Amino acid sequence: MRQSIPRTQLHREKDKWLATFRINWSKQMAYKLNFLLLVLGPILVFFFIRYNLWSSIYQLQGVTEIQGYNRGQMLSYQAWVMIVALLAMGYSGMNLAEEIRLGRISAYLLYPFGFWPFHTASFLAFQWLQFFISFLTLSALLLRGWVLWPTPQGLFHGLLFSLCVSFFWYQANFLIGILAFWLEETWILRVMLITVAQFFSGSLIPLELFPSWLVDILQYLPFPYLTYVPVKIFMGTYTGSMPLAYSAILIWSLILSAVVYGVWRRGLRNYTAAGM
Amino acid sequence: MKPHPQQARWRHYLGLYREFINNCVAEAMSYRLHFALMIVMDLIFYLSLLGAVDFLFAHLERIGPWGRDQFMFFMGFLIAVEHLHMTFISENFWIFSSDIRLGKLDFTLLKPVNGIFVCFFRFMRPATLINGLVPWGLLIYYGLRLELGALQWILLFPLVLLALALLTSVEIVLSMSMFWIIESMGLNFLRMQLQKVARWPDFVYHYYARKLFSYAIPVLMVGSAPVKVLFNLEHWPELLKLLLILIACWALIAYLWHKGLNAYESASS
Repeated sequence: MRQSIPRTQLHREKDKWLATFRINWSKQMAYKLNFLLLVLGPILVFFFIRYNLWSSIYQLQGVTEIQGYNRGQMLSYQAWVMIVALLAMGYSGMNLAEEIRLGRISAYLLYPFGFWPFHTASFLAFQWLQFFISFLTLSALLLRGWVLWPTPQGLFHGLLFSLCVSFFWYQANFLIGILAFWLEETWILRVMLITVAQFFSGSLIPLELFPSWLVDILQYLPFPYLTYVPVKIFMGTYTGSMPLAYSAILIWSLILSAVVYGVWRRGLRNYTAAGM
Repeated sequence: MKPHPQQARWRHYLGLYREFINNCVAEAMSYRLHFALMIVMDLIFYLSLLGAVDFLFAHLERIGPWGRDQFMFFMGFLIAVEHLHMTFISENFWIFSSDIRLGKLDFTLLKPVNGIFVCFFRFMRPATLINGLVPWGLLIYYGLRLELGALQWILLFPLVLLALALLTSVEIVLSMSMFWIIESMGLNFLRMQLQKVARWPDFVYHYYARKLFSYAIPVLMVGSAPVKVLFNLEHWPELLKLLLILIACWALIAYLWHKGLNAYESASS
């Protein structure tokens, strides 16, 4: 009898998470074109620009190698950047600010399923979709020969590391979203984060092309771990320590989680439940 | 003496636009942190764009026909266009999308003024106006290094405005599809991605991509055509092309606006 109570609770929790998964999938698929433009569009266009830019740099200048990258390696790097972006860079939490500003989170405070679990379940549901899209994209890239087959070890660690990065992004977006307890609009902070992260993570230009003093500073920040490191792991050319890389991304995620927890608690004290 | 009807119409619209500006300035000043963050966001964006070009040229002498100075001037030109776009136009596309989805467009359509004017010129972000110093500083600095002639200097500002008109027109054409798509956040994201395409000169793109983005979705004409003319006045036919595309865009906007209004379901009614 004693054991059956927690098991029932566990089942209930599972049902809530699964229901949120289903709701999220139907929400995403309700406007398919919008989903494609929102999720795939930016990443494909970004890849298209980088592919053209780097192709033309090698072709127009007749250079064979830039900082250790020949044309094929550079284009392969850019293709893996696209895969990592598809796997890790979700847009969960985009509507958080609106939910807080309009007082919609009051419902979550009353429901037997919290605000964070609901959004985390939504994030995981979205992650499945991202995973599926990444799988299709990677298959197409492999078939076209734009990227080389990664080693099983490289593939495993690349995927695992990208999932860690994905969790980091989710926490970062969640944190920015709940700043709406104090700020009127939070999209500006999200744009800033994306701009800074894309630049310093080596999305456009590999870190080997950065000045060495800047690379030294970046080692102490989370940015290189968001794109450069997982891409290098997939390519099988990561020369750093793997345990150190995992530790770095996990520590940054833990720091973010702690900040999210603190900000959420303080924010709730500030919450006025507009419209109630 | 009674003014000419056309003149009176212009005055009426200028008066309206002045009111739009006053309202937006008053609103912007009431959210000071937001105001400051907008400025910082734009500066970060400019720095990332210029940083990317600077890091590239640390390893390269030229990209295609252009060296570092020409590339930086091009970036300055694009940033100047995007700065004006961000300040005076950009916000309206997001609001247009939500107005269609929520049926709020009804209130715009009821007003006795041109609907397109109200939809795409009503809202602005005065905070970012201050950041204009960055692109214009860049344009002047690199313009001097490139030894632009007097005519090129005279043409610079009108060409920035012409490029802005083209970018805005292309985006309005795209936005007309919001009447049919309804949930248009993705389309706004696509619009922003097209701005990214325009941020690199046309010669970095492959043949078909160049043709696609020069004529079908002519975002490459926004920066490449005017800057080519500024570097070499013999490229003036590029401007002719740009003007023709602009006229085609306006004709398309007029057609799609009417079609779109017929398809508009007015969600709130």
